[in-house]
Amino acid sequence: MTGFQVPRNSLAWMLVAQMAVIVPHFSRLPYLTIALCFFCVLWRVMVYQGRWSYPGKWIKVLFIFFGTVGLGFGYGTFLGLDPWVGLLIMMFVLKLLEMHHKRDGYVVILLGYFVAVTQFLYEQGIPSTLYIFVCVIMITAALIGLNQTRSHLRPVQTFKKATVLLVQSLPLMIVLFVLFPRISPLWTVPMQSSVARTGVTDTMTPGNIALLTQSDELAFRATFAGEVPPLSKLYWRGLVLSRFDGESWTQELPALYGRIYRPDQPPTSWQDKMELLGEEVRYSILLEPTSQNWLFSLTMPEGTNKEGIGLVRDFRFYSFREIRSKLRYELTSHLNYRIDRDLHDFWRYRYTLLPEEGNPRAKRLAESIWERSPNKRDYIRNILRRFNLEEFVYTLKPPVLGDHSVDEFLLDSKRGFCEHYAGSFVFLMRAVGIPARVVVGYQGGEYNRIGNYVEVRQFDAHAWTEVWQEGQGWVRVDPTSAVAPERIESGLEFAVKDEDTFLSNLPLSWMKYRQTLWLTEIRLQLSALGYYWDRWVVGYTPSVQMSLLARYFGDLDRKWLGMVMLSGFFSLLGVVAIFVLGKRSHALLRPIDREYLRFCQLMARQGLPRSVGEGPLDFAARVAQARPDLAPAMKQVTDTYIRLNYAEDQPEKTKSLRKAIRVYRFRNLVTEA
Amino acid sequence: MTSSANTPDSTVWPSIRFRRWLDRRMPPASAITLDRKKIFILPTKEGILFSFLIVFMVLAGINYQNSLIFVLAFLLASLFMVSILHTYRNLSGLTIMASSTLPAFAGEDAEFTLVLSRLGARTFEALLLGWNPELLQGADLLEEEEVKVKLFVETRIRGVMNPGRMLIQTYYPVGLFRAWSWLDLDMQTIVYPRPVPAGAIPFAQASSNDGELIQREGVDDFYGLRDYQQGDPLKHVAWKSYARTSELLTKQFAAFADRRVWLEWDFFPGMDREARLSRLCYWVLKFDAGNDEYGLRLPGIELAPGRGHEHREEMLKTLALFEIEQGS
Repeated sequence: MTGFQVPRNSLAWMLVAQMAVIVPHFSRLPYLTIALCFFCVLWRVMVYQGRWSYPGKWIKVLFIFFGTVGLGFGYGTFLGLDPWVGLLIMMFVLKLLEMHHKRDGYVVILLGYFVAVTQFLYEQGIPSTLYIFVCVIMITAALIGLNQTRSHLRPVQTFKKATVLLVQSLPLMIVLFVLFPRISPLWTVPMQSSVARTGVTDTMTPGNIALLTQSDELAFRATFAGEVPPLSKLYWRGLVLSRFDGESWTQELPALYGRIYRPDQPPTSWQDKMELLGEEVRYSILLEPTSQNWLFSLTMPEGTNKEGIGLVRDFRFYSFREIRSKLRYELTSHLNYRIDRDLHDFWRYRYTLLPEEGNPRAKRLAESIWERSPNKRDYIRNILRRFNLEEFVYTLKPPVLGDHSVDEFLLDSKRGFCEHYAGSFVFLMRAVGIPARVVVGYQGGEYNRIGNYVEVRQFDAHAWTEVWQEGQGWVRVDPTSAVAPERIESGLEFAVKDEDTFLSNLPLSWMKYRQTLWLTEIRLQLSALGYYWDRWVVGYTPSVQMSLLARYFGDLDRKWLGMVMLSGFFSLLGVVAIFVLGKRSHALLRPIDREYLRFCQLMARQGLPRSVGEGPLDFAARVAQARPDLAPAMKQVTDTYIRLNYAEDQPEKTKSLRKAIRVYRFRNLVTEA
Repeated sequence: MTSSANTPDSTVWPSIRFRRWLDRRMPPASAITLDRKKIFILPTKEGILFSFLIVFMVLAGINYQNSLIFVLAFLLASLFMVSILHTYRNLSGLTIMASSTLPAFAGEDAEFTLVLSRLGARTFEALLLGWNPELLQGADLLEEEEVKVKLFVETRIRGVMNPGRMLIQTYYPVGLFRAWSWLDLDMQTIVYPRPVPAGAIPFAQASSNDGELIQREGVDDFYGLRDYQQGDPLKHVAWKSYARTSELLTKQFAAFADRRVWLEWDFFPGMDREARLSRLCYWVLKFDAGNDEYGLRLPGIELAPGRGHEHREEMLKTLALFEIEQGS
């Protein structure tokens, strides 16, 4: 049966769906594979037009060879997710050139569904989900085309049929989605290789946070159980950087920190160094994937009991697994706290360590201010005053600094971003023996009242400091607030308003139009939608399912859940069946009767339903009596109906009846208005 | 020996026991509207493959803990179930009526015409029907209210042919399920004997007082041409005509006392019944193409000579039904 011809309708949808499904993968596929895709599609079109014939066995072997070599060179390995997806896509396009039987068409279509699903391993947002849904409709259209008679040549009709089928499947899908008993992974699977992502890093060099603030990407969303604290108090602590090599700040050696505290293990020796005071703030964070391990929290967090998360010696959270998908964790923080009231001499040494060489002028500056200050507190105040009163400028475009970056910044350029201020401030502290360290994370955010959460984006990235003081422990000092208080009060956009550098390389970013109210409204709505999506669809994990269902059904075990799911599914299928198979009575009516009955429904809406068996004339008389204002229209419609129906016997000509009804509707509209 | 030998004996056809059950459930009728009692539905091989795909996707969803993979897997699972309804809907409510039949010669295809019709808005698409599962005829009922479908059934032996239960099936819309029904539309047609060339025309016997038919080879009285058959003397071949049309024809010479021919059972001594009928059938067709009146004599049956379409049909029908009990 080599003479099998895929119906034209089906082939068209197959090719369109195939391209649509593969296009999102292009950014990840090697060029050779992409070229192969196009070539196979071209060949298939040529075969269809009868210009070329199907490739011979050796050409196919050659294709497979080049495709595999292309994948191997492109990825450098065949392990991992990306090469496997590439292999799947290659099979999918090559199968196009091997459609000798109807069954081959089915194989292409099933592979198409599978390639569509792989897209979800990379992206899970609402837009890409909608896109994949459209792709699935197209693949289903190809499937329908395969089962239509050869004479059927209306691709749009086929697409509509596919849409109808899938839309009817949606409610059933929701039942399965909510109730299908979720379980933990059965075996480990290759994950996608790490992707470079924007976000706070564990190295702070002058300039890199300023670079980060050029991005309007989402970092995380935080939902508060109670009232949302003022944005100026939201210091989202991410990393503590305490080693300085003269140029950049990095984290303390992990070995020095000792054991990480995990909830399932006995407390560590250092946990009593944390005193939490004041009211607690309860909130949850939905973190976007970072490909890193650190987590953000408001100072100072209590421990969490989420699996896989530990507390590190410098009182921040750490995920034992790299965060490759959205992570939701719940926290309790105390905005008043005292940590490390006693600092061991070793730590005092580490936190005052500076490179022997470099930045001599800054060291001299520190000593001269120190001599003028009666105590440590005055010293800190003097330095902050210096930032405030001298000609220091908070800018997203600081000049490039040389080898002695602290010197140059403090005494020459005096233009810098938060990392310049934080870094040089800690330098000045350490220069006179005050323990200090840099903290990086995010500051502030935007409150979304529709979704009731605070949204933190990359341009909220910030660096500040912690200074150790006798009797108080680590105290947060934010030198940026001395230079540009509006950064802390109102956010970056206001702080750099004059120089107009906010998201300067993203001319179309939504975030640039925060002053336009209606745009902001739309943006907040969309953002809230995205939040609910992430929270309830993407984040619908086994534990979320259990806690949600326990709310409605009490404690359920999986078996019961399965039963509930099946009964729900089949009763809903029954409803769909009534919809699909039910006799559409109006379809059997003559057009004129259909119009008349529609009119009767309009009257029923006015509180005048036609009773069963009531003739049109009787009904008209009753309406005229009850509502004299409707009488003329009623008479017009009834007369037309009777004339067409009985006198002229032209039940197909509904035009004049429709017009009479339209006149009634218009009048009614006017009187109501 | 009426019908059963004429139905295709493919394995997809129901077994005898099942056929009896079908006969009780759906007795033969000339118009049948398909409904719940008459439609069967089961997944196809592709449907089973599709469900494996879904299982595979669910496994991927579990292992990647990816909700959206679940979404797509469940969407396809729901599509699978919803397609049962749509495939069923594509047969349910369809009315199939027997329309007309055309007789055939044994070994040829008999033609059965059916009318498919619908009531209301429901449309039917990609219906497949027929008696031969290898060669099902497709039909659509979209804009049209009814459609005529001509089906051909291979015949083997003469007699009354009842093709038995017809298969009507559909894979539409997605091919994951097959809905089908076996319908007996109570249609039958007559199968004439297979015409077998009988050599030179046998000498007819004088038949009645009306006149005598004599045919002798070599008589100069040329009366017509017929197709050349092996064994015809070469001198009788119409060479002039052959040069013109490249058709080999034999000149026939005869002397007629009377131009009425009797086709006799006894022309073919020593042959069995079917062989004789086949040859008589051949001669009926020959004479029908010529100008003479012809009659038929079978044991116990005598049809007076005549001419024309109706006469021919009657002759053929007599041959077809000879010594076959009706209605068995």
